[in-house]
Amino acid sequence: MTETAVRPVPGAPRAYHFPQFERHSLENGLTVWLVPLPERALVSVHLVLDGGAAAEDESRAGIASLTAQLLVTGTRRLDATQFAEATERLGLEIGSDSSWDSARASFGALNAQLEPALALLAEMIREPRLDEREFERLKAERLADIMQSRADPGRLADEMLLRALYAEGVPYRRPAAGGPETVAALTIDDARAHHATHYLPGSAHLIIAGAFDPDAALAAAGSMLGTRSGSGPGHRTVEPTAAGGRRVVVVDRPGSVQSELRVAQVGIDRQDPRFFKALVTSTILGGMFWSRLNRRLREELGYTYGARAGFDPRRSAGPFLASAAVQTEVTVAAIRELLRLLDQMREAPPEARELREAKDYLVGIFPLRFETTGGLAGAIEPLAVYGLQDDYWQTYRGHIEAVSTDEVHRTADELIQPDQLVILLSGDATRLHDELVEAAFGPVEVLSPEPAAPPPAASGA
Amino acid sequence: MPSVPIERHALPNGLRIVLSQDDRAPIVAVNLWYDVGSRHEKAGKTGFAHLFEHMMFQGSAHVEKGEHMSLVQGAGGTLNASTWLDRTNYFETLPSHELELALWLEADRMASLLPAMTQEKLDNQREVVKNERRWSVDNQPYGDWDERMQALVFPETHPYHHSTIGSMEDLSAASLDDVRSFFATWYAPNNSVLTIAGDFEPAAALVMVERHFGSIPSNPDLPDAPATTIPPRIGDEVRVEVPDRVPLPRIYLAHRAPIFGTDEFDALEVAADLLGLGRASRLYSSLVRGQRLAQDVSVFLFPIIGGASIFALWTTASPGGDAAKLEGALLAEVDRLATDGPSDEELERVRNLHASQIESSLERVAERADRLSMYACLFDEPERLNTEVARYLAVDAGRVQAAMADALRPDNRVVLTYLPMAHETGDAQGEDAA
Repeated sequence: MTETAVRPVPGAPRAYHFPQFERHSLENGLTVWLVPLPERALVSVHLVLDGGAAAEDESRAGIASLTAQLLVTGTRRLDATQFAEATERLGLEIGSDSSWDSARASFGALNAQLEPALALLAEMIREPRLDEREFERLKAERLADIMQSRADPGRLADEMLLRALYAEGVPYRRPAAGGPETVAALTIDDARAHHATHYLPGSAHLIIAGAFDPDAALAAAGSMLGTRSGSGPGHRTVEPTAAGGRRVVVVDRPGSVQSELRVAQVGIDRQDPRFFKALVTSTILGGMFWSRLNRRLREELGYTYGARAGFDPRRSAGPFLASAAVQTEVTVAAIRELLRLLDQMREAPPEARELREAKDYLVGIFPLRFETTGGLAGAIEPLAVYGLQDDYWQTYRGHIEAVSTDEVHRTADELIQPDQLVILLSGDATRLHDELVEAAFGPVEVLSPEPAAPPPAASGA
Repeated sequence: MPSVPIERHALPNGLRIVLSQDDRAPIVAVNLWYDVGSRHEKAGKTGFAHLFEHMMFQGSAHVEKGEHMSLVQGAGGTLNASTWLDRTNYFETLPSHELELALWLEADRMASLLPAMTQEKLDNQREVVKNERRWSVDNQPYGDWDERMQALVFPETHPYHHSTIGSMEDLSAASLDDVRSFFATWYAPNNSVLTIAGDFEPAAALVMVERHFGSIPSNPDLPDAPATTIPPRIGDEVRVEVPDRVPLPRIYLAHRAPIFGTDEFDALEVAADLLGLGRASRLYSSLVRGQRLAQDVSVFLFPIIGGASIFALWTTASPGGDAAKLEGALLAEVDRLATDGPSDEELERVRNLHASQIESSLERVAERADRLSMYACLFDEPERLNTEVARYLAVDAGRVQAAMADALRPDNRVVLTYLPMAHETGDAQGEDAA
């Protein structure tokens, strides 16, 4: 029995290296990234473009997302039904969406289907149908989804947090897929303009990961954007100004048995030299099961099913966010505890054990992240979108290992500023208001959001 | 066609072992299925199997509370567990040189969970699970759909009547004695399957398994599985409306269906994909794109191993649309497929989509390991992983139609409709409001 009483000694680690990849610049400006993986049965293809939400005119907020979705609803040659049939007959489910910093169309195909799949993707990107009826349908679905999201306590908290955190005029204040005010006014002409302006080879990266013939892949890439050339205007620079200082915002959701807590401030952008330090810091705070937040709020106090914290480094600074859904009765106690844990991160360096575990976790899971061809194609995306160095993944683990206890302490002190924190929750304001005022976490504001008005009923034809 | 290598072994104490080696990446997945789920719960003890799963992470004889998670993550691994109607599974994926850590942790809690169990830990995890219920059910729009659906498809005393998360009252009643007896009854090597998939050396791995699990005693008094026999049809169309704080009506349909593993179940999986997989599917084409009656639609089966499985659909009405019209259109499409059957092109489409999805999921060692455990535990046949795709491809139009005609009938149907509450009166809105 004694030999099994002690943790076993691990074997010798087997080396893992991020796979080799090549970058090619085509004549028309398209950048092609090839990640050859000869033993795979699937190929993942990701096309990313500078056509995300940050490329929008604020008056057209939501057009990037709608345009991306519209692309899969047909080409000049194939209507929506025909295009769905043509792609799905190959076993493809083409995804097309956008986020703040890019638009992306992607699929995973069995090896034998790669060539016809690339041809269909190219057709979709080069000559999409951009049908008005389909546009109006997707628009109506987006508006309905906004309504649905405001009935969901977590999504409601997420939306309202952005509004509370960022100043008027900052694009990050509204959802990446646009709010109802702007989406309702979008037209098919806006989609056509967005496509014509941003879906250009100079603004695009084609990533292919799996078992494929490189020459055939490059040839297919050449026809991806046809005779177009040039780059779009790219993304606007977002000035991530905070709306104000420390305060408490209660988004009233009567009868809620839980409060969805969001404690946040403006964080860092993707190019910040503190990126790795911030990652290790947020892992210790709320990025592992035995993190400070989860250990205390879940495993000791039983306040929540899970608590987490992290940064969202975009081209400009996305939020630093700590979150948990807690039983309504313990809301104030949970906030108090969460704030105390944030203070604790700032006041002292982490214990050696904590730092070791966070670094071991981030370094150790490295090969697990890249098990799939989709995961590998996804790993190339930040190199393409943020212009990270080609050796980013080769040097990643070294950067994590290099973070010291003092650096975590300093980073927490710099990036978590108590007087900047927005403490927001969606929950039962009637039950919580007085207790929150008494707790004096900050000035308390109560919002009673009206759900968005339903869009006009679909006209059957 | 997948061709995953499979080796089967067993220990004298009854532990079944499945090994599937693949050294493409330096990672290994460990997966343990215990043949116990919420269907084994006694009356007044709903949610216990899941609460017990939480207790399994609270330490064991040589492991501290939370240390299982901490050690695996600190070794560069990912992990979780889940409880469902028929089973509970525990799984870790780690860099391959840490295989023995996972085996040691799983064996320590299988052998000696109880010394680490305290009232304080039970009280803590009870609160955590209650919050899980609040988060996923009570505080969510449409949140209790699964609980209601199971209760309508299966009669009150049936093991599948209640949902896995359980009720707040029953969770409050769970005791340390329950933990002890549940462990002693179900958490035995002869009630479990251990799968290792990925980068490892089989002979060395077997030695490790023997070293850590070999001395754990089996339970010779393993109870029989609870009786789940049930008539194949509900015998009625059961209609329930639920006023909820939701902006849009949503309809859930459920039918009793032949159990997971039967030819009819396979045919109904094809039917579900024909109806709802992809944008060229019948329901998406007709309800979402064509008539714009729905925001979304989803069709799926509960892979239940006893009594009956469930063939389920749900769809959210478009704003301004009405639930009755959507229901009518939905049922018309289902009937049309049952009557006319799919075309060759449609069958080719779903077959290729299915094959792609299987290949995609098998890229992950954790997924491979879990499916191997599933087939070993439920069928004593891990090799079914390699014949999944062939079984799907073998389903022809005739089998689809026959299976649909048998199961998707009005006298075997639950219709559960969520309707937006009016703000002022709290009454349900919608066409069917009295």
